[in-house]
Amino acid sequence: MEQERFSRLQMMALVVLRVVIGWHFLYEGVAKLLKPGWSAAGFLLQSRGPFAGVFRWIAERPDVLGVVNPLNMWGLAFIGLGLILGCFTRLASAAGMIVIGVYYLCNPLLVGYFYSVPMEGNYLVINKNLVEMAALFVILVTNSGRHMGLDRILHVWFQKGRR
Amino acid sequence: MAEDDKKDQQGESGKETGKLMNRRDLLQGLSTVPVLGLFGYALNKQIGYERAQKEALAGPAAPAAKPSEINVALLGQGAQGEVLLSAMLKVPGLRFRAVCDIWTEYNQKRAVNTLKKYNFDVNGYEDYQEMLAKEKDLDAVVIATPDFWHSQHTVDCLKAGLNVYCEKEMSNTLDGARRMVHAARETGKLLQIGHQRRSHPRYIHCFEKIIKEAGLLGRIVTVNGQWNRAVKPDLGWPQRYTIPEDRLEKYGFKSMEQFRNWRWYKGLGGGPIVDLGSHQIDIYNWFLQSQPKGVVASGGTDYYDAATHEWYDTVMAIYDYETSAGRIRAYYQTQTTNGSQGYFENFMGDQGTLLISESEAAYSGMIYRDVSAPPWDSWIQKGYVSVPRVLGPQPEGAEAVLDVRESVSPDEHRIPISFRDPYHKPHLENFFRAIRGTATLNCPAEVGYETAVTVLKVNEAVEANTRLTFSPDEFSV
Repeated sequence: MEQERFSRLQMMALVVLRVVIGWHFLYEGVAKLLKPGWSAAGFLLQSRGPFAGVFRWIAERPDVLGVVNPLNMWGLAFIGLGLILGCFTRLASAAGMIVIGVYYLCNPLLVGYFYSVPMEGNYLVINKNLVEMAALFVILVTNSGRHMGLDRILHVWFQKGRR
Repeated sequence: MAEDDKKDQQGESGKETGKLMNRRDLLQGLSTVPVLGLFGYALNKQIGYERAQKEALAGPAAPAAKPSEINVALLGQGAQGEVLLSAMLKVPGLRFRAVCDIWTEYNQKRAVNTLKKYNFDVNGYEDYQEMLAKEKDLDAVVIATPDFWHSQHTVDCLKAGLNVYCEKEMSNTLDGARRMVHAARETGKLLQIGHQRRSHPRYIHCFEKIIKEAGLLGRIVTVNGQWNRAVKPDLGWPQRYTIPEDRLEKYGFKSMEQFRNWRWYKGLGGGPIVDLGSHQIDIYNWFLQSQPKGVVASGGTDYYDAATHEWYDTVMAIYDYETSAGRIRAYYQTQTTNGSQGYFENFMGDQGTLLISESEAAYSGMIYRDVSAPPWDSWIQKGYVSVPRVLGPQPEGAEAVLDVRESVSPDEHRIPISFRDPYHKPHLENFFRAIRGTATLNCPAEVGYETAVTVLKVNEAVEANTRLTFSPDEFSV
């Protein structure tokens, strides 16, 4: 990867992609944190597909929800911060992919599934969650934080420490 | 950038020569930090707009004068207590002082922590007697304990000089309910029973304007209503927060399972007909301005395990009323195995039908004008009902298939009252205003008692398997 070269425009595009996804994550987290009593229970209870049992199991247990809810809210916020700042970029994008993957598994958009919750847009298997997940994959493998982001500073420190 | 990168990399490799971090590293490294400033700015704006919207929806601003503070204690902070608390947190002029719940490690802690976030420094208690003994500045208590505790809790709190808001059902026994009415009278303190629809602006509009003033339904002949709820597993609890057995026993519970699911047990709760039906059957009595003469009912534990669900999961009841306008039959069903069509009350007169519920999402107030009724234009002009919904073109030949036995579909109008607050907020506000002397209670003990008599009889009628009658003096204390 270190050998890979990006033109200025390509690097800008990658950073813009990283920052807007980060912004989205950060606000998803902050918005939930600002809503008193927000819980994932409603979303989880609607789960369909092969993992529905697991998600409903979580939704029906206050103690598990007590862990899952804060983890989700703070997780989203920290992933967002990491992506915006380019700080631990690869960790943040990997975590982001996992989080979105879990959302998708909770309510997979399989052919033949019809959800009662209205969705904006029309989707066949692929929804915006999956698009965002794929975009995070790009962030993960190009690691733009290493060039434009706090990772660059961390990297320099880290290099120094090693010597 | 390619050039820069080359330089960068040279720069980095050049670090071995001693340079730690060059200016380019720093600038590029921090290049996206300003985005956070932008985010903060946007977030701040967004929160501002959301707050403004909420304030606009909340209707007329609260009176400019700051209301005098009322010192409030919370007795029972389970699921319902939590609902009431979150509504009360939107009511100005309350100062929370104490929280009592026997589940100290869980319910009590949660409520205390919530209140801490709102800057209320409250004391937690397990025993309400201790709370009454130690908290000397209380003005009011909000009781949301299991039904079988309501009577004792209410009576003791009234006698301690507190005004009481007690959740419905006022008591699981009529003896208990009577003691509450007497205690309220003897102490002269206020006792509001938590039939919160009595303070809901849409219900008040429907009763005061639609039924009483405009008489848009004509002669009401039948009523039907329901609460259909989907299958729900029993409530669990985090094992590490299990209440010790001796404490459970002290407060009348045989086990943690029973403590969590008390609504299903005889002697503790009243089952779905009381938990759900009571709210709506209360509306029957209110809107009809009458009490029933008799009731037949069928019900049983048809689906759940009867060992842990002593009360009926399915109940269907029919009341008959004799009013000055004539006889009225009112059907009510509650079932807990299928949530389709949710909950509503439906009043059917010879001129119109009123379909209403507490929810904004479904049955949020529709009124249908029978084609034979006089036109409603003047009521539309007054804003009592909306303009009728324009129906799409009838399918070709639709009229031809209208059998002589069928009626023409009535016009559909809406009740133009939307409501965005927590359901319980207006009823709680009514209680606190009454304490300040600026309102009278919308559901005083006597009204709660009438409803308790009406509702508790259904369980008896199921058992008796025959029509049970109410004597007129049965409804008064």
